[in-house]
Amino acid sequence: MSALTGSPLKVSAAATRTVGRRKRKLLFRSRTAAIGFFLVSFWVLAALFAPVLPLASPTQQDALALADPTPSAKHVLGTDLLGRDVLSRLIYGARTVLTVAPLSVAVAMLVGITIGMLAGYYGGWIDLLISRISDILLAFPVVVLYVILIANIGPSILNIVIATTIASAPGIGRITRSLVLGLKQQEYIAAAKLRGENALYIMVVELLPNCRGMLIVDACLRIGYTIITIGILGFLGLGLPPPNPDWGGMVKESTTVLNVWPLMSLFPAFAIVSLVLGFNLLADGLRELRKP
Amino acid sequence: MNQAVAVEPELVAVPPANSPLLEIRDLRIEFGGQNESLVAVSRLSFDVAAGESYGLVGESGCGKSTTAMAIMGHLGSNGAVAHGSIRFQGRELVGASTKVLRSIRGRGIAMVYQDPMSALNPVKTIGAQLAEVPLLHLGVSRDEAYDMAAAMLKDVRLPDPGEMLKRYPHQLSGGQQQRVVIAMALLGRPSLLLLDEPTTGLDVTVEAAVIDLIAELRRRYATSLLFISHNLGLIAECCDRVGIMYSGELVEEAAPEALFRRPRHPYTQGLIDCIPDIGAGKHARMLAAIPGHIPLPSERPQGCVFAPRCAGFKAGACDQPGLPLESTDEAGHLVRCVRWKEVVRTQTRVPPEPHGDAAPASAIELAEVSKVYRVRHRKLLKANEGVSFDAGKAEIVALVGESGCGKSTLARIVTGLDRASSGEVRLAEQNIAQLSAHERPRSLLQSIQMIFQNPESTLNPSHSAAFSIRRSLKNFGICKGRTAINQRMRELLEMVRLSPALADRKPEQLSGGQKQRIAIARAFAANPSLIIADEPVSALDVSVQAAVVTLLLDIQRKRHTTMLFISHDLALVRHVADKIVVMYLGKVMEKGTVDEIFGGVTHPYTEALLSAVRSIDPDKRPRQRIRLEGEMPSPIEVPRGCRFASRCPRKVGPICDREPPPVRRLSETHEIHCHIEAEALGSRALVLLDAGSSAA
Repeated sequence: MSALTGSPLKVSAAATRTVGRRKRKLLFRSRTAAIGFFLVSFWVLAALFAPVLPLASPTQQDALALADPTPSAKHVLGTDLLGRDVLSRLIYGARTVLTVAPLSVAVAMLVGITIGMLAGYYGGWIDLLISRISDILLAFPVVVLYVILIANIGPSILNIVIATTIASAPGIGRITRSLVLGLKQQEYIAAAKLRGENALYIMVVELLPNCRGMLIVDACLRIGYTIITIGILGFLGLGLPPPNPDWGGMVKESTTVLNVWPLMSLFPAFAIVSLVLGFNLLADGLRELRKP
Repeated sequence: MNQAVAVEPELVAVPPANSPLLEIRDLRIEFGGQNESLVAVSRLSFDVAAGESYGLVGESGCGKSTTAMAIMGHLGSNGAVAHGSIRFQGRELVGASTKVLRSIRGRGIAMVYQDPMSALNPVKTIGAQLAEVPLLHLGVSRDEAYDMAAAMLKDVRLPDPGEMLKRYPHQLSGGQQQRVVIAMALLGRPSLLLLDEPTTGLDVTVEAAVIDLIAELRRRYATSLLFISHNLGLIAECCDRVGIMYSGELVEEAAPEALFRRPRHPYTQGLIDCIPDIGAGKHARMLAAIPGHIPLPSERPQGCVFAPRCAGFKAGACDQPGLPLESTDEAGHLVRCVRWKEVVRTQTRVPPEPHGDAAPASAIELAEVSKVYRVRHRKLLKANEGVSFDAGKAEIVALVGESGCGKSTLARIVTGLDRASSGEVRLAEQNIAQLSAHERPRSLLQSIQMIFQNPESTLNPSHSAAFSIRRSLKNFGICKGRTAINQRMRELLEMVRLSPALADRKPEQLSGGQKQRIAIARAFAANPSLIIADEPVSALDVSVQAAVVTLLLDIQRKRHTTMLFISHDLALVRHVADKIVVMYLGKVMEKGTVDEIFGGVTHPYTEALLSAVRSIDPDKRPRQRIRLEGEMPSPIEVPRGCRFASRCPRKVGPICDREPPPVRRLSETHEIHCHIEAEALGSRALVLLDAGSSAA
């Protein structure tokens, strides 16, 4: 096939002037990416417009609904044990999840990319030190790590971010390190050294942009995992303090009445599934699109 | 698996006695894209007769490998034969059932691919992979299959076949792997062997051995060959008939002798002029490049595909569609050019500007440079040992040797990408051997710049093409301010004959030749006094290679830049260099001026390198071929005496293994490290036929 490699490259070259538009078009050409994008944007829009949507307050109790929490015209998805509107709590819960998860991942990416970049670029004892510490952290069961951390420092957004960073940064570091190990052998890195660029410049300007694709896909997947983690923490009672709406917490509350009203636990569970699935499909789709 | 072998009546249809073995007629191959389909091969017809060796030559993108894939029925999911026929032994292969194709592959037609490592399964032993062929295609027993595999390994000259069968592909060298692949192809006793660039990744001396082997096996097994290559010299020597492909069609076909002596098509003529020939030096002629570039499949012109690049283009004649492949006044010589009778061969033998012959002041001096790496088990890998040479101002010194000889390590030490373990590299009275790039002051970095080998990795894919040129101008303070930098950048692009409009393109939108020009502009942007060019054109097509080399020499001459030119291509080196340093396994074997190295009195290793050169000119072929036995020893366990002793065809005796060779000084500039006496070194007949005449 070597005979052909020259030409398709140039064909694509002629058309790349409208790269942005093409990429957006491509996003919808991959069905996986399109479905993922749809699921994620559904929740993002819902969370964004929650205050203007015709919803009951997520914290106000409706005493009348306590007797019959099943779905009705007033409460489309029913109410919870305290008579609060489930639909409203789901949508307001999305606000929490969609703030905490991306924020946690962003901080974890920042830390992970930094340590991975340092380990990969410098190698030697720096690499050895970073890699061994990462190995130890990665060997810890993640949930146990969360429970120990949150139980000790108390549940809050900041603490969830700290816990996620400690749990995810080593993995992100590893990915970055392996990417950098391959890229630093490239001749353009040698060329940069020969024109006197310093190490920081080479890492940020020459190496980082070429890691971009893989790291974006990884970030998407990690947001999904973090949503599950936040759910688990909520379920264990280590989520955000009440009365904040919290998907994991909602599943937990409903377990006491699981035999009577199973729907009550299914709605928040479904919310978690759809959002996580959305992020995973989006990541898969982006990976497909990365390929030439 | 026996069903596949059980021969069905219609499969053994004996072809008529005089029909060709392989017959390709009006072949058109298309690849379906998202929006448009791409015509890889537009119309192609040729025959391969039984027992014949047919060479298909062309530059990348001309469709030669696609043709091979089509013959094997491996066009992939998006490729298809849109039109035409491929007949093998009288049977149509286009549209044939998988069953028919299976019965032909391996037994009828076998293929040897370019990269042996990807043709071998890394988790299976050589024996298992070889034995599979007779097991599948000949229906023999397992023991018989292994015996056949061992016998075939012996035929392809691999040492110790019994032991070899138990090894895994990664335990073999590149040359050995390619021999195994050839053995595998021959085990099915095919009547046609397709060779797709079979020696492209191999060193010259290994290539020579593989080509000999193919020729010998062809005689023994009476196999026909379809030899695909971009290397004209190789094709000229191994083939009975040659077809020149350009942009998806055949433009000329003839016997090699006729083709290379009297090329009729302007493209063939241009291609021949692009190739540096081993018989002429730097001051004899300049390489002529073909202007323009190969048209994209989507922008092929009507009529002659070469018309946009042809000096003899005539409107009304060359732009008529459907130009036929006409016969010329010679039997069997076909050409697709309406004006072949009028086209006069204009070989541009422009003598380059004379070069000042006074010995220039030394610009860089290497003295006893050694580089040792620590590897596992506390062993030492000696990449360079005691390398000394110097380069005068505005001189071009070529470092020559096969892969693993340490020439690239030396380049890394001079540029500061690596540090020497010991020794001195003196530049302007300063020893820089132990200074790595980040320890070097700006002015020192500026004075040494490098042009890299691989156009695909020389530019950062995330930035624009001119990004690194701008940075270089800014970092070294050559221009101040945005406008000045952009202005200078445009000048530099014009200097390498690129349109300034390319500056903001991404590297993926540029061709290999364009990227390498940007790399040259980047290196010269710093106004360096020394340029290190590490195989700057080895990854480019011949016509592009000629253009880039000519450009590089032109700039170098104008700017009086000293250059270390690293290459494995001796013919190219002869065209480029003033002085040559021949290296083997980390040590200098010989150094001297170009005339001295090509003058006849040489080190046995240089002699072997020279004799492995393939020339398209039947008059300039080496008089004899020297074949090196065995493999280059590992740099971890280097021989105690002469590094070359284990493979040397002129070994004196045990002294070669015991003691490092003395330096034989033949002249002020010419040094040979060898145990053979200086007089004896010169007593042998010249390897190159015309070596004496051109030196005179």
